[in-house]
Amino acid sequence: MANITKPPPARKKSSSKTWFLVHSWLALPLWAFVFFVCLTGSIATISQEILWLADPAVRANPPSEDAPILGYDEILAAVTREHPDAVVRSISRPVKSQFALTVDVSYPDASTAALYVNPYTGHIQGREAGFDFRGFMRALHGWLLMPFNSGFSIGWYLVSALAIPMLGSLITGLVVYKRFWRGYLRPRLRIGQGARVFWGDFHRLAGIWSVPFIAIIAVTSIWFLTRAVLFDMHVSFSTVGVPPVVTRADVPDIKPGDPLPLISLNRAAEIAHETFPDLQPSFVSLPGNAFSHYRVGGRGAYPLLFETLSINPYNGKVEHTRRVSDRSGLELFTESMRPLHTGDFAGLWLKLVYFFFGLLLTMMVFSGMMIWTKRTVKETAAAVRRARAPRAAPRTPRSAPVLAASGVQAKREAHEQP
Amino acid sequence: MSSHDTVSRWKRWRFHLSALMLILPIAFMPQYFHRVALFSGDLGLGQRVIGEQTVGPWSVRLAEFEERPPELDGGAGYMKTFSLALCDGCESSIRAMYLRVGKPRSLRTAGAIFFGSPYRQTASVPIPDGTTPDAMLWLTAEGWDGSVHHASIPLATASPTTAGWLRKRGGR
Repeated sequence: MANITKPPPARKKSSSKTWFLVHSWLALPLWAFVFFVCLTGSIATISQEILWLADPAVRANPPSEDAPILGYDEILAAVTREHPDAVVRSISRPVKSQFALTVDVSYPDASTAALYVNPYTGHIQGREAGFDFRGFMRALHGWLLMPFNSGFSIGWYLVSALAIPMLGSLITGLVVYKRFWRGYLRPRLRIGQGARVFWGDFHRLAGIWSVPFIAIIAVTSIWFLTRAVLFDMHVSFSTVGVPPVVTRADVPDIKPGDPLPLISLNRAAEIAHETFPDLQPSFVSLPGNAFSHYRVGGRGAYPLLFETLSINPYNGKVEHTRRVSDRSGLELFTESMRPLHTGDFAGLWLKLVYFFFGLLLTMMVFSGMMIWTKRTVKETAAAVRRARAPRAAPRTPRSAPVLAASGVQAKREAHEQP
Repeated sequence: MSSHDTVSRWKRWRFHLSALMLILPIAFMPQYFHRVALFSGDLGLGQRVIGEQTVGPWSVRLAEFEERPPELDGGAGYMKTFSLALCDGCESSIRAMYLRVGKPRSLRTAGAIFFGSPYRQTASVPIPDGTTPDAMLWLTAEGWDGSVHHASIPLATASPTTAGWLRKRGGR
C-alpha cells in the first residue's frame, strides 16, 4: 500500500522509460522484415518433415515388420538396376528411420538429382529435381535468395545483422518488464478485454518463456554475421588443413577393360565402424576422381557435430579423420552454432520444439507491432478528441478517490508495459 | 485530402516500410533459380560450352562453368572454373583430367585436377599474375594404363570473358 502513495523516484522512472523507448525502437522500424525472417526460419526448421507429409516418396515404408535395412552396396546395385545410366555420388541416411535414403546421382546429360530410395527394398520411390523445397526455404530465410559472388551474399549480411536488434530486444525487454519472473508463476493471457490487452499479455507471456530460445537464435545469428565478416576479410582459424589426396603410389595401373580394384562401400562402412565404434554413419560419398577417398561421416558421442573419415578406396586405409577431438575449442564453439540455430541434431521432437518457439517468436514480433499500433491509435484518437473539444469547457475535475484509483491503475499499467 | 491526413498516414505507415525488404527475394528469385539450375547441371555442363576437345585417343566436352571473369579466392589468387564431360565409356580408360594455364612440364604440374562424375566434373584453374590474353590452356589426360596426353586451346577461345578481363588488367 505504501508503494501506491509513494511514487518511485523520478530518475528510476525516466530510465525505465528510456529502456522502453529503446525496446520499441529496436524492432519496430524493422518489424515486417524481422517477421518475415522469423516465419521463414520456422518453416525451414521443419521443411524436411513438411516434405515427408507432402510426398509419399520421401517416406521409408518397410515391406514387412522385420525387413532388414539394406547395406550401401545393395542400395548401389538397386539404383544402378533401375537407372542404369546414373552414376551414384553419395548416399545419405537420414537420422530418422521413417525417411527414405537420399542418393545423389549424376546423369549423362550433365544433370544431377537426389533420388529417394527405400532403405528396405532399394526401390527408387521418387526424385527431387528442379525445385528443392528445403534449399529454397533455407535460402529465402538465410540470404533472401541473393547470390554469393566471391564472398558472402548481401542478403546473408542483412538477415544476420538482425541478430543485434534481436539480442537488444531480449535484454531491454527483460529490463522493462519489471519482475518478469512473476509471470512464470502467475501466467496471464486476457482474451476478453480488447486487442491491446491481449497482445500485451501475449507479448510478455511468450517473451518470458522464450528467453532461452531467443538468446540461442540471437547469439548463433551473431556468429553467422561474424563468420561472413571473417570470411570476406580472409581471416581463418580453421585447423582442417588441405584436403587429403590418395598418393600416386596407391593408385594402380589398369589394363583397358579391367574393373577398378576398389573396396566395396560396405567394407568402407565396416572400416569406419571398426575405427570409430561410436560413430553412426549417416552418409558415404564416393571418390570424385582417381585420387580421392571414400568419405564416411556421421554423428558421434557429441551429437552437434559430424565426424568424418577419409578411406583410401584401393587399400582401405583410413588416411584422414576429423573428429570432435581434432577440433580446437574455438572450432567446437563455432561449429556448434549452426546445429544450435536449426535444432536438427536430436530428432523430430527438438525440431518441433524449435518450430513452436520459432512461431512464438514470429508472433512476438507481430504482437510488438500490434501493441504499438493499438496504443498509437488510442493515443492519436485521444489527442484528436482533446484538440476538437471546445477550449472553453474546462477539464473535468477529478475527485480524490478517482485520483487515487487512477494512480493504482497507472501503476499497474506501468508494470504491464511490454 | 488534407495535409494533416497525409502526415498521420505517413506516421502510421512508416513503421511498416521494412516490408519493402521483401522486394529483394522477389527480385532475386529468377537469378536464384537460374543458379540452382546451373549448379545442378539442369542447364548442361556450364553456361557456355566450348566444344569437343581431342586429347590423345580420347575426347572431352569442355565448358566454361560461368560466363564471367576469374574470381579472387583469398590467398590462392584468381581462379576460373571449367567443367567437362568424358567421352562415352571413357571413364574406364581415363584416370584423371587436368587443366592449367601454360604448358605443363610434367604430370605433377599438370594443373587443377577435375573432380566429379564422368558426365560432369569441374576444376578451378588458377590464373597466375602476368597471364596474357593470348595465353594457352593446356588439358592433360592421364590414362588408367599410365599414359599421358596433352591438348591445348587458346584461353581466348575457352573463355573470351577471361581474355577480355586480362586485356583490361593489362598483364598485371
